[in-house]
Amino acid sequence: MSAVNIRNVSKAFNEGKPNQVDALRDVNLEVQQGEFVSLIGPSGCGKSTLLRLIANLLEPSSGEVSVNGKSAVQARLDQDYGMAFQQAGLFDWRTVRKNIELPLELKGWEKPDRRARADEMLQLVQLPEFGDHYPWQLSGGMQQRIAIARALAAHPPLLLMDEPFGALDEMTREYMQGELLRICAATGTTVVFVTHSIPEAVYLSNRVVVMSPRPGRITKVVDVALGADRTEDTRNRTPFFEAITAVREGLRGMHAAHVGMGNDDR
Amino acid sequence: MIALARRAAYRTAMFLVALALVVVIWETYKALGPVDGGKLLGVRILPRTSEYAMPHVWDMFSRFGRPEVRGSDRTVFASVLSGAWFSFRLSVAGFVLGGVIGVGLAVVMARFKLVQRGVLPYLVVSQTVPLIALAPLVVSWGGKLEVGPLVWPRWLSASVLGAFLAFFPIAVGTLRGLAAAPAASVELMQSYAASWSKTLVKLKFPTAIPYMVPAFRLGASASVIGVVVAEISTGLKGGIGRLIIEYAREATGDPAKVYTAIFGAAALGLTMAGVVVAVDVFVMRNRPKESIT
Repeated sequence: MSAVNIRNVSKAFNEGKPNQVDALRDVNLEVQQGEFVSLIGPSGCGKSTLLRLIANLLEPSSGEVSVNGKSAVQARLDQDYGMAFQQAGLFDWRTVRKNIELPLELKGWEKPDRRARADEMLQLVQLPEFGDHYPWQLSGGMQQRIAIARALAAHPPLLLMDEPFGALDEMTREYMQGELLRICAATGTTVVFVTHSIPEAVYLSNRVVVMSPRPGRITKVVDVALGADRTEDTRNRTPFFEAITAVREGLRGMHAAHVGMGNDDR
Repeated sequence: MIALARRAAYRTAMFLVALALVVVIWETYKALGPVDGGKLLGVRILPRTSEYAMPHVWDMFSRFGRPEVRGSDRTVFASVLSGAWFSFRLSVAGFVLGGVIGVGLAVVMARFKLVQRGVLPYLVVSQTVPLIALAPLVVSWGGKLEVGPLVWPRWLSASVLGAFLAFFPIAVGTLRGLAAAPAASVELMQSYAASWSKTLVKLKFPTAIPYMVPAFRLGASASVIGVVVAEISTGLKGGIGRLIIEYAREATGDPAKVYTAIFGAAALGLTMAGVVVAVDVFVMRNRPKESIT
């Protein structure tokens, strides 16, 4: 059973109106259990839309999305996935621990169980001493780690991330990438990860899905042969650069095609 | 906590400075201004500074300590205090009623866009109805209400009119606040398959508080105004509104007296708003500072 299965999915906004936007057209993608897949592409290529379709925050115009063998709706109702956004989006009025407990509260967990799980998650993201702090007392990177802890609190098999490190500085960003890989390896979580950054996509992923805009579609899928153990040293190895080149060519090819199209129109 | 205390001290100091400034301006004008007022082309544009028109500030305050009527052992202060206390209780009742109605309306309007479009214009219109026109109506409607042994008490009309003024800013402010949750947080709650009511309690109300507090502060003083005006226009005895009318009648002989009742009404409004501020400081104690209003 695949973690995510997307079959012939199209998504249009303002369907049937003059300002209709084809966000996605005929997208097919299958993500295996335990796999780390990145979606990369220029703005407007529909990568965030695709993520929201998996999360069932949007409904596809046509086609089917299934998560863990269930319909996307059922998967959302069962909280089969956790989600993290570019902004950590922690609730200012809750302590860090209470933020992590939020999904468990909504699932109706008892207080001692919630507390135990929150402490476990704080250990996992290596911020055990910050449970009683408030989010605004933490740095951006720490807040994002808490957001990941919150997303994983209910031990969902799938983690959906929408440019979670986009607002962080480069140093913190690379550190967070390492942390994310460590956490995913420890929990066996499947990840679908939206990003703008080629090195980030390559460093994290088993597969990088290159998308192009107008209408949003998948143009290339790059397999990253870097193995399971990735360290800072991985960034200096030849396969890393080869994969980066492959992704960049995928993105550039689409760019060239677009320029060509533009010329033909004139 | 230290920063909080320091800010409270600073605000109190500024408040006192502002008060002192008003006193200085009042007394300076009284000392320097024309006794019969200034006229321009036959129209009086500057107020008179005579004892009748502008009593000294210290006369106003010393009036508090003297008997209410000659020969009585009850001081003006005691009368104003009991009047203010009477009106305070009515205002609190009106404020609570207005708060419940205002928040309730805001929640319903936030839930159903159709209700919002249908009801909101009427709320705006409702505030253009003069309170004085409404007061006798509420009294007569209330007088006809009788549920078993429960009879509409006279004071309730004043509270209802306080609520009538209080609910509007509360409804509008809360409605705005309920729409203030960031889109990502709303999506997050959706991703947890959280029900509408859970989202309301765990996300929307907490994010609405910075919008609700100023609204409640307006509502608190509006409730006081509603009650005082209602006391005057329905002739309800015992409150500060009644005292203002009674003392104003004596203004020709005892000009300082009416100011004592006015101070009482002002203190009442400040107390109501102060309670809301205290609640605000308590509720927002753990939020980042920039979101404290």
